[in-house]
Amino acid sequence: MVGKRTINVPLNRVEGDLDVSVEIDNGIVTDVKCSGIMYRGFEKIMVGRGALDGLVITPRICGICSTAHLMCAAMALDTIANVSPPPDAIRVRNVTLMAEMIQSDMRHGFLMYTSDFVNPAYQKKDFYESSVKRFEPFKGEAVIETIRETKKILEIVAILGGQWPHSSFMVPGGVASIPNQDDLVKCMLLLEQYRKWYEEKILGCSLERWQAVKSSEDLDQWLEEKDTHRNGHLGFYLQVAKSIGLEKKGKGYQSFISYGGLKIPEGSALNDKFDQGQLIPSGFYHESRHQAFDNEKILEHVAFSWFEDTDAGVHPSFGQTNPYATGYEGQKYSWAKAPRYDGNPSETGPLAEMIIGQNPLFVDLLKKQGANVCMRQMARLVRPAELIPAMKLCLSEIVADGVFYQRHNEIIDGEGYGLTQVTRGALGHWVRIEEGKIAAYQIISPTTWNLSPRDSEGIRGPAEEALIGACVNDITNPVELGHIVRSFDACLVCTVHTVDKGNKSQILI
Amino acid sequence: MKRIICIGNRYLPEDAAGYLVYQHLIQRKLPKEVEVFDGGLAGLDLLRWVENMERVVFVDTISGFGAESEILLLKKEEISVLAGKNFDHASGLPYLLRVLPDTCDGQIPEVSLIGIEGIPDCDTVKKAALLALKVVMGLQERSA
Repeated sequence: MVGKRTINVPLNRVEGDLDVSVEIDNGIVTDVKCSGIMYRGFEKIMVGRGALDGLVITPRICGICSTAHLMCAAMALDTIANVSPPPDAIRVRNVTLMAEMIQSDMRHGFLMYTSDFVNPAYQKKDFYESSVKRFEPFKGEAVIETIRETKKILEIVAILGGQWPHSSFMVPGGVASIPNQDDLVKCMLLLEQYRKWYEEKILGCSLERWQAVKSSEDLDQWLEEKDTHRNGHLGFYLQVAKSIGLEKKGKGYQSFISYGGLKIPEGSALNDKFDQGQLIPSGFYHESRHQAFDNEKILEHVAFSWFEDTDAGVHPSFGQTNPYATGYEGQKYSWAKAPRYDGNPSETGPLAEMIIGQNPLFVDLLKKQGANVCMRQMARLVRPAELIPAMKLCLSEIVADGVFYQRHNEIIDGEGYGLTQVTRGALGHWVRIEEGKIAAYQIISPTTWNLSPRDSEGIRGPAEEALIGACVNDITNPVELGHIVRSFDACLVCTVHTVDKGNKSQILI
Repeated sequence: MKRIICIGNRYLPEDAAGYLVYQHLIQRKLPKEVEVFDGGLAGLDLLRWVENMERVVFVDTISGFGAESEILLLKKEEISVLAGKNFDHASGLPYLLRVLPDTCDGQIPEVSLIGIEGIPDCDTVKKAALLALKVVMGLQERSA
């Protein structure tokens, strides 16, 4: 039917607590609201607890990103305690976080994202049969392989942390475990096994060959070069993406933010390309210009969020999380706040890291195509090609049974933050301790950046903007919207996983 | 080896039944061939902790299976059919059990679920813990 319609699209394979409401006029998306539909309240849970409790509680914010939250909680406490973890403790922290990142990148890629390629909307496409063979839920080759391989890589967290799941082994001053030589050898074997699978099945080439792809021309040549490149899951993804025009969808604002991450320990051979002391550089990319990142330029808005109003944006150091859902019928629509950097909605995640890190391939693609769904997802699929060698180097540099903890004074009073790039992008914890208790705790997750609602100026969030102008061929099966939203790898919250017998009746994409 | 894996969110009462049973079980003297494990929110990542077990009993909150505070013993097949067509961050136990045959290395264990409806009281937690022990030891195959 031609005409103006509003549809609510609860997104499975993203997170059960996200709704996307889109207004469609003659098949084109004209307005969007991304709604976080569950109040989390972890910030409130934290207040009044012991100074170190964030190390135990925040890894339980999410079943997927436990190590990421632990890293931020520990970094914030490092700052407050004014302690620097020993180099090998930093290496252990880095390796475990990277294990979580390379696991999640592949799971999102082949358990969530490519499921759309077996959507009935594509039944008549040439790629469909091969897509089913690779990506059919529960059965596809890529699906089964990904589960089999990714289940092993997180053992690295268990081995190095001595605890899993929801580990709390990172502590202010270092890590609480002391890996021995056997532990390190086991981790290296697990990593090598993962690398082998990633090269053979995902890239279809060595990490080194992939790293030589530095422009769109190189990418075309790489695809042409060998059957193994075209038949790897990355090569196949690129061919499908081109055939359905994903390089023309989901442009968004083209503003990117990275907090930076993976501190380079003293004496490490890791490449400090930007002289920032961290492997993943921080920065802000806006209107085609790179800027240095400044934590003070982050403000959170709640004009369209179900929280008590503030006059304008508030820095998370002073932020409050006071739910207030009444009195604004029709205006407030999300339990997510709206973070802005220097007033700008900003996208974060692997693509932001590639752009801010000036990866030549992605810089070239951005220049020629603008940001898009294909590029956003490709950045996620190839990020392990950068992280695996770094993990290997970090592991090889750790001295078994060495020094993994630096003593510090008891944490009584102070203020600090832990900001780092994690699986889905920029994650931050802002913490204030008074008389040995948590007085304030504010968290901004990557999805809060990407799936934010409008801010005080009424400016849409990055994913909302990326959906504007999207064509929808069939509103009962809006697969095009799924491609765009899923390219942000949203994860609102993983707090509820009750086995539920009920069935949902809304449109799922 | 046999394992009881309690899953759920200790910070959300509506989803904390598994964790409460875990807390009860770790205070009991258990048969030496039985391990108890707090699976938290790990979902599909629990796959590695299922492999090569003779028998695994999960304990989790259920919804829509019975009356408030009811404890049900559910078979693997009754749970795996509830897996949504696609994986998501909340896929959890149904998805894990659905893919288990194709992704399990080593012996595929006998799997069942002790499901608890709603927020359990102390008595319900104790009953569920005892049932989990009986089932993991092979002493009970159906709900009482």
